[in-house]
Amino acid sequence: MSNDQRPDFIDPALLRGLTQRRVSRRDVLKGMGAGAGAMGLTAFLAACGVSGTSKSSPPPSGSPSPDVLKKIYGNGTPAGQLNFANWEAYIDVNSKGKSPTLLQFTKETGIKVSYKTVINDNDPFLAKIIPVLQSGGDTGYDLMVITNGGPVERMIKLGFLTPLDHQYLPNFEANASDAVKNPSYDPGNKYSVAWQSGFTIIGYNSKAVKDKPTSFADLLNPKYKGKVGMFGNNQDLPCAALVYLGKDIQTSTPDDWKKAADVLMKQRNDGIPRSYYDQSYLQALENGDTIISQAWSGDLFIAAAPKSYGGDGFPEIKAAIPGEGGILWTDNQCIPLNAKHPVDAIKFMDFVYQPKIAAQLADFIWYVSPVPAAKDIVLNDIDDPLVAKSPLVFPSADDLAKSHKYKVFKDQAEEDEWNSIFQPIYTS
Amino acid sequence: MADIDVRMDQVSKQFAEVTAVDELTLEIDRGEFFSLLGPSGCGKTTTLRMIGGFEEPSRGRIYLGGKDVTTMAPYRRNVNTVFQSYALFPHLTVFDNVAFGLRRKKVQKTEVGRRVGDALRLVDLPGFERRKPSQLSGGQQQRVALARALVNEPQVLLLDEPLGALDLKLRKQMQLELKRIQNEVGITFLYVTHDQDEAMTMSNRIAVMRHGRIEQIGAPEDVYEAPATEFVAGFLGASNLLDGEVKDSDGSRATIRLRTGDAITVPAERLDGPERKVKVGVRPEKIKLEQDSEPLAGGWNAIEGTLRMATYVGVSHQFTIDGPGDRPLTVYAQNLGAETIPAPGQRVRLVWRPEHTFVVRPSEPLADWEEET
Amino acid sequence: MVLPGGAWLFVFFLVPILFLASVSLQTGNIFDGFRLTWHFRNYVDAVQLYHVQFLRSLRYASIATAVTIVVSYPLAYWIAFRGGRHKTTFLFLLLLPFFVSFVIRTLAWQFILADDGIVLGPLKRWHLLPQSFHVLATSTAVIAGIAYNFLPFMALPLYVSLERIDRSVVEAAQDLYANKLEVFRRVIFPLSIPGVFAGVLLTFVPAMGDYVNASILGGTKTTMIGNIIQLEYLTNFHYPIAAALSFILMAVLLLGIFVYARVLGTRSIEEYV
Repeated sequence: MSNDQRPDFIDPALLRGLTQRRVSRRDVLKGMGAGAGAMGLTAFLAACGVSGTSKSSPPPSGSPSPDVLKKIYGNGTPAGQLNFANWEAYIDVNSKGKSPTLLQFTKETGIKVSYKTVINDNDPFLAKIIPVLQSGGDTGYDLMVITNGGPVERMIKLGFLTPLDHQYLPNFEANASDAVKNPSYDPGNKYSVAWQSGFTIIGYNSKAVKDKPTSFADLLNPKYKGKVGMFGNNQDLPCAALVYLGKDIQTSTPDDWKKAADVLMKQRNDGIPRSYYDQSYLQALENGDTIISQAWSGDLFIAAAPKSYGGDGFPEIKAAIPGEGGILWTDNQCIPLNAKHPVDAIKFMDFVYQPKIAAQLADFIWYVSPVPAAKDIVLNDIDDPLVAKSPLVFPSADDLAKSHKYKVFKDQAEEDEWNSIFQPIYTS
Repeated sequence: MADIDVRMDQVSKQFAEVTAVDELTLEIDRGEFFSLLGPSGCGKTTTLRMIGGFEEPSRGRIYLGGKDVTTMAPYRRNVNTVFQSYALFPHLTVFDNVAFGLRRKKVQKTEVGRRVGDALRLVDLPGFERRKPSQLSGGQQQRVALARALVNEPQVLLLDEPLGALDLKLRKQMQLELKRIQNEVGITFLYVTHDQDEAMTMSNRIAVMRHGRIEQIGAPEDVYEAPATEFVAGFLGASNLLDGEVKDSDGSRATIRLRTGDAITVPAERLDGPERKVKVGVRPEKIKLEQDSEPLAGGWNAIEGTLRMATYVGVSHQFTIDGPGDRPLTVYAQNLGAETIPAPGQRVRLVWRPEHTFVVRPSEPLADWEEET
Repeated sequence: MVLPGGAWLFVFFLVPILFLASVSLQTGNIFDGFRLTWHFRNYVDAVQLYHVQFLRSLRYASIATAVTIVVSYPLAYWIAFRGGRHKTTFLFLLLLPFFVSFVIRTLAWQFILADDGIVLGPLKRWHLLPQSFHVLATSTAVIAGIAYNFLPFMALPLYVSLERIDRSVVEAAQDLYANKLEVFRRVIFPLSIPGVFAGVLLTFVPAMGDYVNASILGGTKTTMIGNIIQLEYLTNFHYPIAAALSFILMAVLLLGIFVYARVLGTRSIEEYV
């Protein structure tokens, strides 16, 4: 029974009260009366539906009209406040524990920043804010950083991101690397611009692995049996296998997926992977629980760097970019729907695309900077050749050209099929 | 002379700083109903627990039926205990509770059934086999506890204030029951109580304890009529005590002079030792109250006093009289219905037979913590 | 008295349960919304897809619960009967590690039990263990982690049930010719059964739904049903399947508890609680 067929005797206010987050006292009292009396089980169950969004806000297509953008950004006057949700250790920090970038931003624009590191992982964070957005509420954040390969696409499709008005993004237009401009998951950067990117490559312990890995094939090598770390998610693991088989991730077919899954399943059944990891893969690698592992580029830089430099101090941990190319993913700055201060948010988005600021961030974060021009500043002005010359922070054009991107799904059905093929590998 | 069932030979028990039992020597005859009576903290329960095997003496030996059991584990001793809280096994039925000891002793199954049945009949609880302890009243639980111990036919049955939790009426009834059962089974009962009525009602002999020592051992009437110490006199029933000094003794009679100058005659054998300063005592019910100065009956002791208060208690009148001592004297007079009751303030004379007089050594007064358990 | 209690149950139990029941019978996706279509097939799918993880969770939780009994019974017994004046101190010491967050504690084990870590490292260097030996990433590690993390849930009810046993009942058993073993077998253990019962419930139920230990200490074939529910809910946004799995989990647990209570007899438990 759908909502449209609900019996007449149910007060629509009650349905709102039960399905939406904002519940008035009046609704609750009514609901209790109705629950005790008139309402049958069937009607109640029907009322518990999880509402979608396609009815209320049409799926985004084409460029947002100037009128829409005008309504959001007005005449471009900031409100003076920015609520920023980001990941742990994902911004520069000075000796006093403050971020120079944020301080500078406030100094130059007068916008105060409330910076919260509330995101540990995309899924739980989105699980928290999606119901808020579904009920038409405000997440309390003006800016958030989420990853492509699912999260960004999902939020765009749900219509839960505020479209960007590119007239406020001159620095992005001028300085962003081609790798982050016009990405397949958000053509035209209508809803997102990159914060930092990273490669999914291979990390290894050079004490235990004598031959430098050159390919995903090294992760399948039986001589590392039980000491191999693989990622337990539906992008890093399947994409790496598809690339290994020479398939183009975006155009690959379910047949290709099955072949890739066969490779991974055989690896699993041979007992080669120790486990399927999330962020914890790094500790396993540092502890020596794994000696070769799928890895995210910036982490390997951090693991290997000396403690005095701010790293973890494991010089034996090294990065290898497989010959078939790494997988480039991007964490994106987005403005959630109903954000209170979109102008302040978009100003900050653009602010970090100034090469000087980008250099400052890159020198601290050690992931792939979206601003290639920052490299010279890191090298000459900041005088940090280790970072400037690292292919993990400023990758070569060749590495970028060879890199692949996370699968962008056409629709839910495609994603479900993909998951049904790959998920059993890392969840059974 | 009967056989001796329990013998304690200079037994002491020390808990950290406290001496609970101090050099206690005691013999209990086979088939005897023996009570340990005293205020809380007098060491009576510790004595019982040492016999049961739950405490090991610090010094001295304990014999059961002539066998040294001083360090023997409880489950090896042929004694059983009825605990103050009954300590029934809450997860077992009445039958299983009573059968517990027999089963541990590997008694045959049919034999167990028969003996449990007998035991339950003995305590008047046939038909309760399937009940759980929580489905029984306090008095019924008490009977189960008794049956559970008796069914093993122990050499000695130890009872630790077993009636303490029952109300007065039930307690009186159970006292008689216990006495009946003891007569029936003929087992030695060692009974611990702080209730003097209980001890007197049931016991063949009583040991009155204080501070870990025995103050007096004897048959109830001996201990009552001729208490050996001021403590016993005070703890066992009410008594009137007066300070005095032994004047002379002519072999069968002795004279004690009170501070007021009154002379009190006592049987000479009541004098215990050479002390000169003693207390003379008489039980309140032994005193006759006289209002007019009729001539004194031959040889009776007499003292004068002023009536402070007369209380009507139904079966008797209770008089409080300011007499020669520091403390007022108490007199009980049976309510025969014919007496004229003296009025407060009136001068009265208290008279009693010399043989009802006892002499005790002065002892320190009862401390607060000794009063009740 | 019925009204506030009933309202409480309605708001905090019945409404969420009915909501969950409703979701488990819906179809749709997060973009188009979910509709109640009485799609019982969700349950069939859930079982078909994930019975392996389900049975594994059942096995892990059972073994872990048994382990917590074996470990915490002597501990609780010792504290209750031999703890003397320091009972509270011992209890506090027992609980001390559990003031640290669940995840951090589990991560600590990951560090301690690392293949070349502070325990296995030296043992391997002295050739007391083969180089390939490892504890982490095995089902043993997951079960041990669960047992460790839920130990207080077993130890505390056990302690309480042992502590409240009237000492005179123990003496009565000794008095009635029971030796130490018989005292334990005939009196102490039966009287501690309510504690075992409560402990098993408090341990088994959360152990069955646990996902932290499997994800931190587990390997390639240790995924538990909790991990699956989390994945289906948070990552795949398959709310109906996640709800169906939760419902099956709940039903299995309720059925288990019912049978368990029947076997042990709640009536007799109530009697001496």
